[in-house]
Amino acid sequence: MGQKYVLMFVRDDEAFLADEAHDHTYESINQWFMDLGQQGKIAETGSELQPARNATTVRWSAGNPMVTDGPFMESKETVAGFTTIEVNDLDEAIAIAKRWPAKDHAIEIRPIVDHEQNGS
Amino acid sequence: MSATVEAISAAFRDEAGAVCASLTRQLGDLDLAEDLVQDAIVVALQRWPRDGVPDRPGAWLLQTARHRGIDRLRREARYRDKLQALSAVDVEVISREPDERLRLIFTCCHPAIAREAQIALTLRAVMGMTTPEIARAFLVSETTMGQRIVRAKRKIVEAHIPYRIPAREELPERLGEVLAMLYLVYNEGFLSSGPDRATSRDLSADAIWLCELVNALLPDQQEVLALLALMKLHEARRASRFDARGSVILLQDQDRALWDHAAIAEAGALLERARRLGAPGAYWLQAAIAACHADAATYADTDWAQILALYNALIRLMPSPVVRLNRAIALRHVAGAAAALEEVEALSGDLDRYHLLHATRAELLREFGRTDEAREADQRALELTNNPAEREVLLKRIGDGGATPEGAADATAPRLAREPP
Repeated sequence: MGQKYVLMFVRDDEAFLADEAHDHTYESINQWFMDLGQQGKIAETGSELQPARNATTVRWSAGNPMVTDGPFMESKETVAGFTTIEVNDLDEAIAIAKRWPAKDHAIEIRPIVDHEQNGS
Repeated sequence: MSATVEAISAAFRDEAGAVCASLTRQLGDLDLAEDLVQDAIVVALQRWPRDGVPDRPGAWLLQTARHRGIDRLRREARYRDKLQALSAVDVEVISREPDERLRLIFTCCHPAIAREAQIALTLRAVMGMTTPEIARAFLVSETTMGQRIVRAKRKIVEAHIPYRIPAREELPERLGEVLAMLYLVYNEGFLSSGPDRATSRDLSADAIWLCELVNALLPDQQEVLALLALMKLHEARRASRFDARGSVILLQDQDRALWDHAAIAEAGALLERARRLGAPGAYWLQAAIAACHADAATYADTDWAQILALYNALIRLMPSPVVRLNRAIALRHVAGAAAALEEVEALSGDLDRYHLLHATRAELLREFGRTDEAREADQRALELTNNPAEREVLLKRIGDGGATPEGAADATAPRLAREPP
């Protein structure tokens, strides 16, 4: 009976993509996913996202949908990917996040709402 | 038989953490346990002043918490499964296992909880302080403090922050959280210890008490011993910080006969023990600096070269501009005012909103007779601080044309933990 958390990988896209050591980083990221998968801790693999320059945001202004170019929040750092893990508690999630190989990322850990538990 | 406020606070401090930890373990619910113990404390605050502290205050608190809980759970359907556990609670059994209270302390100080909420939760759950008391001590409204506590407790439940003692490899980081929380509580007590706040609870004493508890529960940790020594060193010199009118007295003018030399020796012994437990950490170095000041028979005898060496080591561990500013004061005594001023000027960007940067700069400028610039810097420092004791020193200096030679504040007072805004 684990708790699910989404890990959101936040990075500065331009800096990351310009980094020469890029391929090597992907290798270690794959390894990170394989290790977790073998331990049965990946609930949903998730995705890597294209750079935020390709993002489009829809929001409502006075009830009218407005479409704008760019991510929901203008910032150098944006969400670049996500995955869902299933572990015992927040400490385990933090320990997993600390093993993430790309040290120029930030990782936001968010517990997901469990609708069956007639939630919070 | 009536009881004094001090006796009641001491009883809470001795018992609340153990009662809360025992109940949390038996219910498997820190949020609920903590609320019930608070309820019991509120009842005790009504009864004990009149009836006296009971013979076994812990059992009394646990019994009351249990009764309150049963009443409450009967009304709240969602707690039904907890009702059985609560009915089965044996009030004769309050666990004194070291692990029980440690688990509580580490959970309250989890890094996923904001520092100010860590403080509030710990003071409530471990020390048995009430929300209004905590709010008063930190000068925020009861509503704000209440919300802070509710939010933190909700996060513990909803984000599944575990109720446990961290594993060995996590211990340095997690212990760091606990110690940072403790030092902030200590500072809050120390900095507000002027005559105006004489009636409020002595948070410094509470912080020392709790640090001693952590040391007893988790012995032979260098940084715990070092923080304890650091707080004891500040405490040993506290009596000399204010004159009869309540004005702050600078380090060089303090009457060293008033210092508690037995406490200074005790802190020295703690530091010596801590030193054997590993390479010096940040608290050890800060305590060693304070010990250098405390050991000097007169201000002129201060071993500034040693202090500068300790700051050089501290900067490697804590490369913050505030530490560099404190180092600059030692540098002035070792390498002269010109070197110190150069260092202070280099920090003026980072610390523009920090009053002690401007106050220190003013002192150094005065040494070169640059009195107009010095007055301007003091003026700027004055705009940036609300601390009455520091304001008084600055105002005096601006009025005197700078007669005070040094130190807008006691240069060795705890302030490393208070980063500028």
